[in-house]
Amino acid sequence: MNTIAIIGGGPAGYVAAITAARQGARVILIEAMALGGTCLNEGCMPTKSLLESTEMYERVKRAADFGIEILGGEVRINWKRIQKYKDKTVKKLVLGIQYLMKKNQIEVIQGMATFINNYKLQVHTKEGVQDIEAERYIIATGSEPIALPFAPFDGEWILNSTHALEQPYLPKSILIVGGGVIGCEFASIYSRLGCEVTIVEMADSILPGEDEDIAAILAKQLQSDGVTLHTAAAVQQLDKAKKSVVIQTKDEQIEVQAERVLVAVGRKPRMAQLGLENTSVIWTERGIEVSDNMSTSVPHIYACGDVIGGIQLAHLAFHEGEVAGANACGGSHQAHSYTIPRCIYTWPEVASVGLTERQARQQYGDIRVSEFPFSANGKALILQEQIGKVKVITEPVFQEILGISIVGPRATELIGQGTLMIHGEMTVDTLDDFIAAHPTLAEAIHEAVRAAKGAAVHI
Amino acid sequence: MAADVIMPKLGMGMKEGTVVEWKKAAGDEVNKGDVVVVISSEKIEMEVEAPVDGVLLEIAVEAGEVVPIGTAIGHIGHSGEQVVKAATPTASSAPQQLSEQETEEQTSNVSESSSSMPILRKAGVKISPVARKIAVAAGLNIEGLAGTGPGGRITKEDVEKAIQEGKNGEVATAQQVVSLEAHHEDATQLVPMTGMRKIIAERMHESLRNSAQLTMTMRVDVTDLLALKKQAANQVENSREAGDRLTVTDFIARAVVRALQEHVQMNSTYTRHGIKTYSHVHLGMAVALENGLVVPVIRHAERMSVLELSRTIRNLSQRARKNQLNPEEMSGSTFTITNLGAYHIETFTPILNPPETGILGVGVAHDMPVYVGDLLHRRSLLPLSLTFDHQVLDGAPAAAFLHTIKEYLEHPYRMLL
Repeated sequence: MNTIAIIGGGPAGYVAAITAARQGARVILIEAMALGGTCLNEGCMPTKSLLESTEMYERVKRAADFGIEILGGEVRINWKRIQKYKDKTVKKLVLGIQYLMKKNQIEVIQGMATFINNYKLQVHTKEGVQDIEAERYIIATGSEPIALPFAPFDGEWILNSTHALEQPYLPKSILIVGGGVIGCEFASIYSRLGCEVTIVEMADSILPGEDEDIAAILAKQLQSDGVTLHTAAAVQQLDKAKKSVVIQTKDEQIEVQAERVLVAVGRKPRMAQLGLENTSVIWTERGIEVSDNMSTSVPHIYACGDVIGGIQLAHLAFHEGEVAGANACGGSHQAHSYTIPRCIYTWPEVASVGLTERQARQQYGDIRVSEFPFSANGKALILQEQIGKVKVITEPVFQEILGISIVGPRATELIGQGTLMIHGEMTVDTLDDFIAAHPTLAEAIHEAVRAAKGAAVHI
Repeated sequence: MAADVIMPKLGMGMKEGTVVEWKKAAGDEVNKGDVVVVISSEKIEMEVEAPVDGVLLEIAVEAGEVVPIGTAIGHIGHSGEQVVKAATPTASSAPQQLSEQETEEQTSNVSESSSSMPILRKAGVKISPVARKIAVAAGLNIEGLAGTGPGGRITKEDVEKAIQEGKNGEVATAQQVVSLEAHHEDATQLVPMTGMRKIIAERMHESLRNSAQLTMTMRVDVTDLLALKKQAANQVENSREAGDRLTVTDFIARAVVRALQEHVQMNSTYTRHGIKTYSHVHLGMAVALENGLVVPVIRHAERMSVLELSRTIRNLSQRARKNQLNPEEMSGSTFTITNLGAYHIETFTPILNPPETGILGVGVAHDMPVYVGDLLHRRSLLPLSLTFDHQVLDGAPAAAFLHTIKEYLEHPYRMLL
């Protein structure tokens, strides 16, 4: 029987495990921490739980605008209860994965796996050391936060994203190093809970991967929520005793006091404990090298998810896990990475798929950009969330829809429609006569698509 | 509204058509109903009208080229508009699967089909919208293109790759052709297999491949028939409409119809599901044209007198020679007669017109000395060659069928009863 040992029970690993088990393989899943990996335990899910709490807080505060009065008391944040809600949610999700493992008869071993050679693993568990031999291996150990070279994480003052989720109390101020996705999401969480937030970003704008105009809308909102932004700036010194941070901007040096410092400058592949040096697997600091079918330089060892570097998103890891799992069972699938939606859970939310305007200009030269603002959308008015827009990038020859960026209410849900368009390689005219439900936020997408033909109605 | 000019489907058997002549040039204004292009199937030529008002933006298929039915051969839109086209359907749009009614509908709808009703939906080719546009713009035939997308869908990448490979391939082919031509410049002439020639080639090969056909011959004494014909012909020519003229062929047709009704096994088609026999006789009559052959069909020949058959045969063959037949007048035959008597052929081995079971070859009648009792007589003998499908029936019943024809022709008054 084909035995497959999978190292890591995060999105890539558990999906690979289920895929392989469903194809009849005997699957052993080795997880050092908790099933669900970073996504469930320290990433996507807990941050979204915190964000939902802040969103609720914000909406309750604004309830009076909608004619709802709260009598006899102020609206207050109970940080402990917020944490509890988050933990409860995470626990449920982890139980869900455990159930899936059981249902698919996947053997889960709690422990740290290290390759002895190309054909053997040693697993350190609570009970002791165990050797595992399998026909095929899938490495899905994920990634971990990168520390500043001069300031390692201490979990007290200098935090990584995992620490930032589990603060015992709400700090009065926090300085976030890195204005990327993780930095901006935490800025949204903390600022809306009344915390004084400063972001230091080396690039000229926050969210360096996204288009400037999209990032600018978020930047403006963050600033109006009280976030101080320092772009084209770098942290020079960190003084834990004084809790002060020295920032070098283009023009000056600034000293900022911060009760906490969150370092969110990126994540690196987690390979340290794997014993890759005992194998013929080729890897670099950027990750384990794999081909499209997720196999490493050792044909019977596959790798998928954040550990192979590149785009670090749970939904890409799902896809890669599926490919790796199927191929480990003798399949010949290839991972695709051309249609990956990118979601940023800030307020307002930012979501995009396909090419950004900048990328499209580089690849196609002549492109069309059409937009529709949420200020002209009826449902957004009712929600009182009229900030933002939908932007559609098309190329003029075949009218292919190359990219869609949304900044605004429910952008992360709305992008699903854009993902379908890009995945389907749709052209503008394929959406002729398309009927979007009214009144919905989604109408804004179709107005933006229509605008590509100069046919938007409600503006 | 913009629309494609589509290679129409003119009949059940039509798989591809030739662009004969563009009546409008790219950039010309056209009104709905204007003749834009002349196309031909293996059987007939037809004028294709503009489906909408607008400007002929593009001629996608030049005169002389052969494309599958449903291909967008041109595009009409507003001036300055981006060309939007439907792509080529594949062989899976199998014409044989359509009922005659559907075929008719499709034919009559051709002038209305536009890019907003992509033929691809019917054809079942999975291809992304942008991949389709790129393929059409590059003139790439997506038929047989392997898709790497979900469920085998042809993606933009697949099309771009195929175009690239196609370019490389074309260069190689062109070089080969040049070197070949250099060697045989004077010796040979290559006539491309297009239009009617290609269809005939396909059908004849299909016929031999898919049946167990053999031919048997028999001489028929038509002396009395010729006398009757002469008598009747005088009568007809004196009393009937101008142009009526009875021929031996008309009587043979009648004899065959009668024989088919008595031997229904021969009035049949061989299908995957079994042998289909017909109560009606749709009689095919092969007509030679300058560059090929067509088989107009006399529908319900069993309901016609000799004179009616005669008129129908004359009408059909005249119109066949002028390329004026409708597609429906060339399909659905249940038995075929082919006549090479005019070329002084006696017996030959006709090839079945698939999916029919039988075809009768008619040769030239010669006067010969024939013993009637002990005396030699001068009699006219007509050689008949019957090809039949041994999958459907055996030698004896086929011979019996041929013999019935002989009986009718030798006792012609019987078939008039």
